[in-house]
Amino acid sequence: MSFFYNVESTWLSLKHHAFRSLLAMLGVVLGVAAVVGMLAVSEGARVESVERIQRQGVDNIILHSERPQANVTGGENIYFYGITTEDIEHFNTVFDNVKKVVPVVELHRTIYADGKPTDVGLMGVGPDFMKISRSQNADSRGRWISEADGVTASLVCSVGVDAARQIFGLEDPLGGTISVSGSAFEVVGLLDNPLRSKLAGKHDINNLVYVDYETLLSIYNRGTLQVVADYVYVQVDDLTYLKNTADRIRTYLAETHDLPDYTISVPYELLLAEQATQRVFAVVMGSIAAISLLVGGIGIMNIMLANIYERTKEIGTLRALGAQRKTILAQFLFEAVTLTGVGGVVGVAIGFLIAMLIKYSAGMPTIVTPGSVIVALSVSILTGIIFGTHPAWKAANLSPIEALRR
Amino acid sequence: MSLIQLQGISRVYGSGPAAVHALRPANLSIEEGTFVAIYGASGSGKSTMLNMLGLLDEPSGGDYFLEGRNVAKLTDAARSEIRCREIGIVFQSFNLFPHFSILENVCMPMRFAGAERREMKDRAAELLARVGLSDRLTHSPSQLSGGQCQRVAIARALANRPAVILADEPTGNLDVKTGDEILGVFHELVDEGHTVIMVTHNAEYEKEVQRVIELNDGNVVRQ
Ligand SMILES: Nc1ncnc2c1ncn2[C@@H]1O[C@H](COP(=O)(O)OP(=O)(O)O)[C@@H](O)[C@H]1O
Ligand SMILES: [Mg+2]
Repeated sequence: MSFFYNVESTWLSLKHHAFRSLLAMLGVVLGVAAVVGMLAVSEGARVESVERIQRQGVDNIILHSERPQANVTGGENIYFYGITTEDIEHFNTVFDNVKKVVPVVELHRTIYADGKPTDVGLMGVGPDFMKISRSQNADSRGRWISEADGVTASLVCSVGVDAARQIFGLEDPLGGTISVSGSAFEVVGLLDNPLRSKLAGKHDINNLVYVDYETLLSIYNRGTLQVVADYVYVQVDDLTYLKNTADRIRTYLAETHDLPDYTISVPYELLLAEQATQRVFAVVMGSIAAISLLVGGIGIMNIMLANIYERTKEIGTLRALGAQRKTILAQFLFEAVTLTGVGGVVGVAIGFLIAMLIKYSAGMPTIVTPGSVIVALSVSILTGIIFGTHPAWKAANLSPIEALRR
Repeated sequence: MSLIQLQGISRVYGSGPAAVHALRPANLSIEEGTFVAIYGASGSGKSTMLNMLGLLDEPSGGDYFLEGRNVAKLTDAARSEIRCREIGIVFQSFNLFPHFSILENVCMPMRFAGAERREMKDRAAELLARVGLSDRLTHSPSQLSGGQCQRVAIARALANRPAVILADEPTGNLDVKTGDEILGVFHELVDEGHTVIMVTHNAEYEKEVQRVIELNDGNVVRQ
């Protein structure tokens, strides 16, 4: 039996029952559209959260100094707290799998531009900060602050591109000065973080002024600063052992700190947790998809049974003219698969529109992946096969004489 | 050797006291190239016998030799194959496929026989021409009169050059004049050497055919 015949007879049959066929298809269309739309939303959310986590650098472990709450200090007022110089030294020298340790200390002073306060922060950072934060030199005439600046305690700074815009406007920031709390720092470089990441997930890297860590400590010392580091970035050599290194740091800090004056965030662990959440989400989505396609499939089965009931005499005639059972089976299966296949294609198109609509009206990121389209289409075809088989089988096994009597 | 040989063929519907003996064991043979009428009152078992001959129904007992081959107990696939190639069927109510053109209707048995597309269309057109419908090829059955529909059905029955043409009351849905025309078509076929077996309850047709097999209450009473 020719493929062409199946196409033609399917087309004629569906055309003849256009409205009924459309109704039957609707279930599959809506099911597939919902699946594609929801997968697009979840994929968008996943990619966004993964990017957010990755921007903090998956190979980093980030320590935060935290002021202990009054209830754990027994009412005592704590002045100095957080990660200590000894801790930093220890990470640097004792732990293997540690590539770089970069302390960050924040100077809590407002930076003014033309006499007006800005939201630009000032950070003292180790020389490796640019590298571990995946930032770059934005102006080839300038440079990043170096270890030498720390040794000579030079009053120089590098400025994030957004901070530079706020402070210097259209003027050339290079060679300019930033005055804060009695000190004036000469701008020697511009820094750009293309990922637009946040330092420790809090401060826009492009909206900060950077001074060498040692320099800042020596100028302001512990009279002004209550911590030696607000954050410490510990970059590992080998991601495989990141969890192990993080655990060792946890153990070490738990032993050396009497008070809980620090927290640890491990973007990589967040990433893993996120992926686990995504798996759960995928299972839920899969179940919803299965239910909606089940409903669609039942609709298809229903219309196929109605078609076959209506065409019983025609089936009898086909058999009388010599059609084999398998020919009849193929014809009706083809018809069911065409219904669900076309429903699937239309559903994918509508799902795509839903994803676009959500993206532009609700501002949520949505991504329609080729994988989700392939899955949606194969599942709709599979639905046709599963729910078309029973009616087609029924049609094929009609006794010719019984069928003709109708 | 006869084209068709029935040996003790019978058909019983149901079982026990409620069993209907639609056809009691019958022996008969039909020679190639004859025009045969199966004649009898309504309910006498004419259709039952024709369905046996057309392999649409399975006998309850007995043997059926078609061109020397016993076809009484074949698989469904083998029976379908024989229906396709050896038997041409014409129905009382034409049974054309309403959504297909008459050309496609005539092509249908050839599709089942796996014919080449071009060859199939050519033969269908040729067959429609010989029943006088060459100018109607693309028409749908609903655009034709009853007599024309039955001509299409005859063309369709001839498609795969069958050994025998079976027709169950082919004029039953037609007026007398049109019925006579259809009978004329059968006469032409027989003249060309075809074997035609026609069920009828019309005594008028007795003189039209070469042989009458008469049934009464499931028994062959004349042959
Ligand atoms: N499927 C069936 N079940 C039970 N009885 C049947 C069936 N088909 C036919 N019969 C009976 O068999 C007998 C012969 O029927 P049929 O061959 O159709 O007669 P005819 O064609 O001569 O009018 C009738 O009594 C009819 O009621
Ligand atoms: Mg009858």
